[in-house]
Amino acid sequence: MPGIIDTLLYLAIILAKILIVFGAVMLHVAYATYFERKTIGHMQVRLGPMNVGPHGLLQPIADGIKLFFKEDIIPAQSDKPVFFIAPVISLVGALSSLAVIPFFDEFVIADINVGLLFVLAMSALGSYGIILAGWASNSKYSFLGGLRSAAQVISYEIALGLSLVGVMMLAGSLNLSDIVRAQERYPFGMFLIPQIIGCSVFVIAAIAETNRAPFDLPEAESELVAGYFVEYSGMRYGLFFVAEYTGMIIMASIGIVCFLGGWNGPFTIPYVPFAWFFLKLYVLIFIYYWVRATLPRYRYDHLMSLGWKVLIPLALFNIVLTGILKIMKVLP
Amino acid sequence: MTLKNLVKTVFLTEIAQGMALTLKTMFTRPVTRQYPKEKRPAMPGFRGLHGLVRDQQTGEARCVGCGLCAAICPSKCIYIYTADSLDHKKIVERYEIEVLRCVFCGLCVEACPYSAVVLTEHYEYSDYSREAFYMTKEKLLANWDNYMGWDKNMEYFKKFWHPTADDFGFPRNQAVFRGKQNAR
Repeated sequence: MPGIIDTLLYLAIILAKILIVFGAVMLHVAYATYFERKTIGHMQVRLGPMNVGPHGLLQPIADGIKLFFKEDIIPAQSDKPVFFIAPVISLVGALSSLAVIPFFDEFVIADINVGLLFVLAMSALGSYGIILAGWASNSKYSFLGGLRSAAQVISYEIALGLSLVGVMMLAGSLNLSDIVRAQERYPFGMFLIPQIIGCSVFVIAAIAETNRAPFDLPEAESELVAGYFVEYSGMRYGLFFVAEYTGMIIMASIGIVCFLGGWNGPFTIPYVPFAWFFLKLYVLIFIYYWVRATLPRYRYDHLMSLGWKVLIPLALFNIVLTGILKIMKVLP
Repeated sequence: MTLKNLVKTVFLTEIAQGMALTLKTMFTRPVTRQYPKEKRPAMPGFRGLHGLVRDQQTGEARCVGCGLCAAICPSKCIYIYTADSLDHKKIVERYEIEVLRCVFCGLCVEACPYSAVVLTEHYEYSDYSREAFYMTKEKLLANWDNYMGWDKNMEYFKKFWHPTADDFGFPRNQAVFRGKQNAR
């Protein structure tokens, strides 16, 4: 029965891939927090974590252990089933997008033909977790955070999607591996130059989509305490954190795949096919922190007017421009 | 909007300047002092925990129990109990300072005609009980031994407290006790 054995082998390979990606991403999430604290610390002329391990290197592990063993407090007046499921929705939305991201050539868990659409759908789904968490906590701060998140995600999802349309037009595919391969004949092996407007819109919209500073209105420490997860504690709170950082990694990966040439680099590095991808990932993640350390939070109406009056028209203009260039055969 | 402003807005030059500043700051030396590991030395003239001067000849407290420090103390946290000894000498039975009420103004040090009470440079004296901050004479003498001593004291006193112990005069910028009636 060669058919069954083939199927089992296929399943085993998929499972192994899932484990590898999941493990690698969780490690990256843990050390993304460390990297963030160190980067922002040094940008504020501080040291960042220094005490757990040499230069605080074991800090994320200590944080993880602490969060895991913390008391799980559930507000008495909360909507309990929704309260329980909200962080899971958030995390599932973030983690399932990992399935379609090609980390290097031929290494992708699910090589589906609507990869980009799937990622956008999942990031939209993740924001349900935030909205539901805000609603279920039965606290005014959480609720405000949830409402802001809903409005922000609706506004910026459009700009995000539209900014990627130019990429789809150039690549002629929604499959992320195909998008990467389509970039090989462009300058630097990237869509960055022909899609510079789309890339700028994407970067801004991606920061807003992941609720990072300067668009962190759903969290807004100074006004909403912690926004939608005020009432969460222990590992449930930790899940939101993991979801947020995984979301950052997803958005950075989409940026790499769609604009920065994916796993391709100026030269191939032998034996480590994922080197360029991860190098670009670290640079993009660093830019997230860099922006966070520099810019103050947007005012709410500014956020909305930036999204609707600047980014969406820019993205539409980019689509038209790309179409014209494509028809005139300026772009290959 | 002028053309210059338009270019500024489109290319986000001001944001770029800010980003350049944070990036530059990232490579400067952090100013953090990792406190329990690196302790900050007290500035000269620092007014820390109290001490009673131990006389070099007798090995006893230099205090004669005149009560000037207790009188000038704005928060009234110094308690002095004196008695007559068998040979009719005045002895200081108890000299106590409630550190939790002290405002560290240093008037007691200025008022003392014998330079017998000092504020040491010691500042790490947190504790779990209030009793630990009620300084008895023994504790105050021990503070002197541990945190001040004569070498440090001479420099410290001459520089900051203008001692009256040498000549019993009243230096011009010294707080002077004129009795309770005339205090105001």
